[in-house]
This record gives sequence, structure tokens and C-alpha cells, in this order.
Amino acid sequence: MPSSAVTIGCGSAYANDRLEPAVALAKSGRVQYLAFDCLAERTLALAQLRRRLDDDAGQDERLPRIVSELAPFVASGLRVVGNFGAANPSAAANDVVNGLRRAGVAGVRVGVIHGDDVAALVRKLNSRLPELGCSVDDLRERFVSAHAYIGAGPIVALLDEGASFVLGGRIADPSLFVGPICHEIGWDLDDWDRVGTATLAGHLLECGTHGTGGNFADPPYRTVDGLDDIGLPFAIVSQEGALELTKLEGTGGRVDGLTTKTQLAYEIHDPAAYRTPDVVADFSHITVDEMGTNRVAVSGAAGRPRPETLKVLVGIDLGWKALGEISFGGPGCVSRARLGEALVRRRLEPLETDIEDIRYDLVGMTSLFGDRFSSEHPAEVRLRVAARCSTREVAAAVAYEVEYLYFGPAGAGGATQSVVPAIGVTPAFVPVDDVRLDWEIHRS
Amino acid sequence: VKLREIACSRSGDKGDVSNICVFVYDPVNWSVIQQHLTAEVVRQQFGDLVCGDVVRYEMESVHGLNFVLTEALGGGVSMSLRGDPHGKSYQSLILDIDLPVNVDQSAVVGDN
Repeated sequence: MPSSAVTIGCGSAYANDRLEPAVALAKSGRVQYLAFDCLAERTLALAQLRRRLDDDAGQDERLPRIVSELAPFVASGLRVVGNFGAANPSAAANDVVNGLRRAGVAGVRVGVIHGDDVAALVRKLNSRLPELGCSVDDLRERFVSAHAYIGAGPIVALLDEGASFVLGGRIADPSLFVGPICHEIGWDLDDWDRVGTATLAGHLLECGTHGTGGNFADPPYRTVDGLDDIGLPFAIVSQEGALELTKLEGTGGRVDGLTTKTQLAYEIHDPAAYRTPDVVADFSHITVDEMGTNRVAVSGAAGRPRPETLKVLVGIDLGWKALGEISFGGPGCVSRARLGEALVRRRLEPLETDIEDIRYDLVGMTSLFGDRFSSEHPAEVRLRVAARCSTREVAAAVAYEVEYLYFGPAGAGGATQSVVPAIGVTPAFVPVDDVRLDWEIHRS
Repeated sequence: VKLREIACSRSGDKGDVSNICVFVYDPVNWSVIQQHLTAEVVRQQFGDLVCGDVVRYEMESVHGLNFVLTEALGGGVSMSLRGDPHGKSYQSLILDIDLPVNVDQSAVVGDN
């Protein structure tokens, strides 16, 4: 029997999010569901590299701690959904089952979704890579991974079968919320306006504290109290389609018209056509009404049939990334930093065939906006040299030359350097019917 | 008036595409940004940071505009060597735009 309303909160907005606000939400008893988004564009390709080194790796590394902290609440009815699987959903399922057992929570159904890894498919189709102007075959040995953004269907199926913990790989961010909402209040996944409303709720929740006053304060124009203890958002969605957004009493941050609107348009393009695996949502006629302190009602979402293609992110090995920085201060600092830059350029000339891309910036002057805001007399600047190189050795040489400016212009200080594998991602699209998803249930 | 006096903004990324939304604090200023904050004005402000198009979408019911800037993140978050590959700071660059109008002083300086 569907419920008349559902309460669902956000547990995480990215792979490194803090866990305390999610535990507070679980502990409050105010939400039936907590959904965790754990993946940014590059997270999955990096996870795939971890899995290549270790068959049991490639899932969200926070999972053992998340399970241990949430186990008591799962035991008393909280249901958790997340894309914790990243590049290894099976290993993630093991982490969850083992974690629940360790916490003494037996008999919980753990659902795991497979099939978002479409590496074989995009190779077979030789999929187009529009942002690069080439196809998958052209990547040759640089091809690392391909994961399709998948929708809410398998989540609903697993919740229908009684799963209390549902996880998968590249489940699309809003779909993590659409699944529980549609399951709990009995909305059909082909009822486009309803799925548009559920997607609106998911979109407003998926970025975590971006919806409660994070990425917002700009004093004195916009101030946010309690940023140090900012709370995660949660929503109440009724079967009639009413959507209320709020946060826990006693937590920091703010939920009002402006914070909700800035999140509404965050990372969408055409507001009338926000494409997810579940629906083409229409947010072009949304209204936001403040209902009270930290409570808003959001209405007006609509939807059209879901796209016939799924978006895929293809991971690419781009060699090695070098980063070197060093500071200059006081009178003449810009001239000395520019002299340092010239010196590095000269010394790197013999290596230029192995340096695929390099850029020089003066942090404090030109690194964010080029010369749009430049002043010739900053108090200090930091020379930043970033490069992509074909070998680790050349990347290390780039970073070293920046450090060696200790022996270059006068007063260079505070050098730092790093050399890391450079992994890129680029979009592709595959027919939805070519992506075969399956799922299974384990028991703790 | 500087846009920062009458509106707030937020920028995000998808691949090499940046979107920057702008919402007025006071609905009274909706017509100001609707009329003067054009795609061309935004393109001028961003100069060579944007290699592709600037497209503007109106969100009248919430008094906002959404700008979509293609080829605007140095190849995309994961490809770019920029210091802020996500373009999170673009929200501050757009607020420095000077609009050629005077607005009612009771409708400036934020909502606080």
C-alpha cells in the first residue's frame, strides 16, 4: 500500500563529503530514506584504476564507516540508497553485508545493481566522442573506462523486494532520490509529470549542503549563519505532488527562496529540458514559496518521456599531470615572478616533445580570470605551472624546475609540487536498449 | 549598477560547459536583468575564457536567467590545467558586470 507522503534526505554530495550531518539526519528519525551521491565526473575513472590494481577495490572508500555509523538506524527501519559501488558494486555489496553483520544487524536485504559499466558496449559501437571530435577506437590504449548514467528503475524494483540498502555504480544523481520517492508513494515511472516532480526533489537534494546555504555566502550581500555546522537538506513529497524542502532544526545554514533557486539552476542547461535517465524534466515554470523558517514549498515541475539514449562518461588516460608553485612578495613581485616563468620556459625547452600541454599563471593576479581583473601591484603573487606530460619523469622535471626557482629570481619562497596520473573523462551516448541492467539481493 | 548589488549567482560544470545562473534579490529588478544582462554582455565580460557560444535561458517564474557557456572550461574539469577547472569562481566574475541603469536604492544590497 503506497504511503501518502515520503521523507527523504541527502546523505552525501560527493566522494569526500563529511558524514556527521548524514548521521544527524538518520538519528533525528525525520527521514525514511537517505540517498548518497558519491560520484563526480572523474571519480569513476579513478576508481576504475584502483580496481585494476586490486579486485576488491574501486568502491566508495568511506563505505565501512558509513555502514558502521548507520547500522543501528537501518536496523530500526531507515533505508539507504547510494552509488557507493563506483567501479565495483559487488565489492561495495560485500562491504555493506559484512559491515551490517559486524554491527550485529542480521537479516537486512542489500540490493546491488549491475550493468552501468559499458566499456565493452562503447568499444563494440565505436561510440562518437563529440567533445573530442573523435571516436572510442581513436583512444587506443588510452581508453580507461566507460560508465552509463542509469536511472531509478532498478532502485524501485529492489525497494519493492524489501531491500533496506540499495547500491550501484553510476546511478544518476537525481535518480537516487526518484527511486525511493516513486517506490514509497506509488508513482509510476512512466507518469512523466510525477517523475519530473521527483526529479526536481532529487535535483534540489543531490548537492547536499549546496541546498542549505553552502556555496552561497558573499558578505555583506548574502550571509549564512552556522556554516561550520551546516545541515543537510531533506524533503517531504506528498502523493498529490507537493514538495517541501527543509533541514533539521538546530543545524546551521539556511533554506529559503534564494538558496533554493540557486540550487534549482545549478548545473542545468535548458531549464525546460533537464535530461536524466528517467525523464526530460521541465523546470521552466517552477515557483518557490517560503513557508516559514528554513521551509520552502516548490511546485510547477513537469516532464516528458525519458531520453532514448543514456549519457556515458568515457575515462581516458592522459599521462601525468605536474603542478609546481612558488611565491613572490613585495615590491617588484610580479616582475620577479615573470622572470621565474621565463627561466622555467627556457629550461623546459629540451623536453617540449613530451609536454602535451602547459600553462603558466600568477595566482593572485591572473589565474582565475586571465587579465580581466589584473592589477600591476599586488602584495604578492604565486607562480603556478601546470602541465600534462607523456611520462612521469618529464612531469617530475616540470615540477622540479619550479622548485629550483629558489635559486632563480630574488625572494622566491614556499615551493610546492605534485605529480599525479592525469585521468580525463569525456561524454558519449548509447541507445538505452543496448544497456542491460540486472540486480540481486544479499542478506546480512 | 553593478550586478552584484541586485542579484546573486551560482556557476557549475558539465564537461567543457559552464552554466551560470543569476537571480535578482528583489523582483522589482527582474526587468533590469531581463533587458540588460544579455548573452552578448556576458560574452564581453568573459572574453577569451569562452571559446564557444553563450546561450541565455529565461526563468521568469523565479526571476532568474541561466547562461550556458560552451568550450568555457579549458577542455573540461578533468582535462583542464586551470587553477579552477570547475569554473566555480565564474559566479563572481559575472557579478562584476556593470549594467547601464540606475535602480531604486531600496532594492539593492542583498536580502539581508
